[in-house]
Amino acid sequence: MSHFLVFVKKELVEYVRTYKLLILLVVFIIFGIMNPLVAKLTPELLTSFMPEGMFVTIPEPTALDSWAQFFKNTQQMGLIVLLLVFSGVLGTELTKGTLINLLTKGLSRQAVVLAKYTAMVLVWTLSVVVSAMLTWIYTVYLFPDGPMGYLFVAIFCMWLFGVFLLALLLASATMVRGNYGGLLLTGLALVILMVVNIFPEAHTYNPLSLGAKNMSLVSGTVDPSSLYAAMVVSTLAICGLLFLSVLVFQKKEL
Amino acid sequence: MNVLEIADLHMSFRNNKVLRGLNMEIPENSVFGFVGRNGAGKTTTMKIVLGLLKAQCGFVKVCGEEVRYGATRTNRHIGYLPDVPEFYGYMKPMEYLRLCGEITGLSSALIKDRSRELLELVGLDGVNRKISGFSRGMKQRLGIAQALLNEPRLLICDEPTSALDPIGRRQILDILSAMRGKTTVVFSTHILSDVESICDRIAVLEQGELVLSGTLAEIQKQHRRNSYHIRFASDGEAEEFSQTEELKREGVELEREGCSLTISVSDVSVGAQELIDLLSRKSMAPERFEVLEPTLESLFTEVVQ
Repeated sequence: MSHFLVFVKKELVEYVRTYKLLILLVVFIIFGIMNPLVAKLTPELLTSFMPEGMFVTIPEPTALDSWAQFFKNTQQMGLIVLLLVFSGVLGTELTKGTLINLLTKGLSRQAVVLAKYTAMVLVWTLSVVVSAMLTWIYTVYLFPDGPMGYLFVAIFCMWLFGVFLLALLLASATMVRGNYGGLLLTGLALVILMVVNIFPEAHTYNPLSLGAKNMSLVSGTVDPSSLYAAMVVSTLAICGLLFLSVLVFQKKEL
Repeated sequence: MNVLEIADLHMSFRNNKVLRGLNMEIPENSVFGFVGRNGAGKTTTMKIVLGLLKAQCGFVKVCGEEVRYGATRTNRHIGYLPDVPEFYGYMKPMEYLRLCGEITGLSSALIKDRSRELLELVGLDGVNRKISGFSRGMKQRLGIAQALLNEPRLLICDEPTSALDPIGRRQILDILSAMRGKTTVVFSTHILSDVESICDRIAVLEQGELVLSGTLAEIQKQHRRNSYHIRFASDGEAEEFSQTEELKREGVELEREGCSLTISVSDVSVGAQELIDLLSRKSMAPERFEVLEPTLESLFTEVVQ
């Protein structure tokens, strides 16, 4: 078995035994179940909280509201939990020194970086798939109001943004020491992307756009082609960040 | 053949020069004690040998192959035991050794056999619990097992006994001693009694330079000073002998403590025979006459001060 596969297996075993996988799955399963329910119950909850004598017309909830909840929860709390769970992806091993034994056995540093990234992406993919499947099942059950526009493209864009964030986290973790240094650097990079997004010309290419048009895609008001440039830029950025991670880690003194 | 060759190695951390042109050769199948004070540069040297640190100048060869920083090719010849080996606490010893074996490229059957054999060697056979619950000594023994898994030609141990209790220390020394003739052991430490008990070659590192090297016998021979210890039956006899005219000259140092007299002589004309003749002429029969050999501790203190 190649070093890469051996280390991917080790990472996945670690996620299972240190409950990281469980935490993420529980969070995303809760989101998956809650998304359609919250959409369904929101009008009733709002009505019940209205002062007596006040009448407000709240539109009947639809499948769109359920998917709006899905994208909101996954892109906000979901990604925060994901980054927190993986914040020590490299820092913990470097601080504790657990990698030293394996590196002195001939494990290549490139395999370490790529395997860690692959394992994180696998867990993120599983979380998104589980949450999306549950949301879909409950949405179909509670809101049988016909097909969605570009739902799968919207989910793919959100997934790709998560994959980009994980590459950013890993690259940051190779550059700074400690568990939370990488997280801080990732946060800083995101702030820079937000600042860049002030310029309308940047929207087309900014990876942040991948998470900004989900509901427009689902409702069919935006064509997926408007996001192709952002998809290509994000994919190139992911490759670039991985290359940088390997390069920095190869030169890192341990 | 030399398993490890180090030539003109220089290394600095900021303005602190840790290694200043270190040269060292370690022959195959020896147990080599790498001695030095804390901060002398032992761990730095080992990390450079393992490709974990980059030297500013010089080269290191392991089994004839040059070590390249950041690359791990030469590490296939090496087993490494850090001073505080760290493991994945959620794994059990067999699982950890399997992971190491897979990285080394051993077959499943071989990993299983070697793991059992090594766990038995280090006294961890039958221990089937998570590593997180291991004591420091158990971790150190598991560290030796993982280091020996790939049957390395060079086993590097960085202060393996420094944090262990006397029993744990003895166990580790016995295991390392058992490696003699099977693999080359480089054993860094500042506990000199450990070196004396198991090493057949010694190098003393001080301020990034080798100040002493060779077998213990060679080093003792090179640094031998004629020192004798004579114990008399009474304090009076010791006092009387210390006043002997022949001993009152340059190059002879006397130190009396009760009925014992220590004589250090740099003048080669005064040897054991001369002292015995003197005793005979004065009709004195000491209870004990001993030629003092320099200890590693005394040599170490002498060269690092």
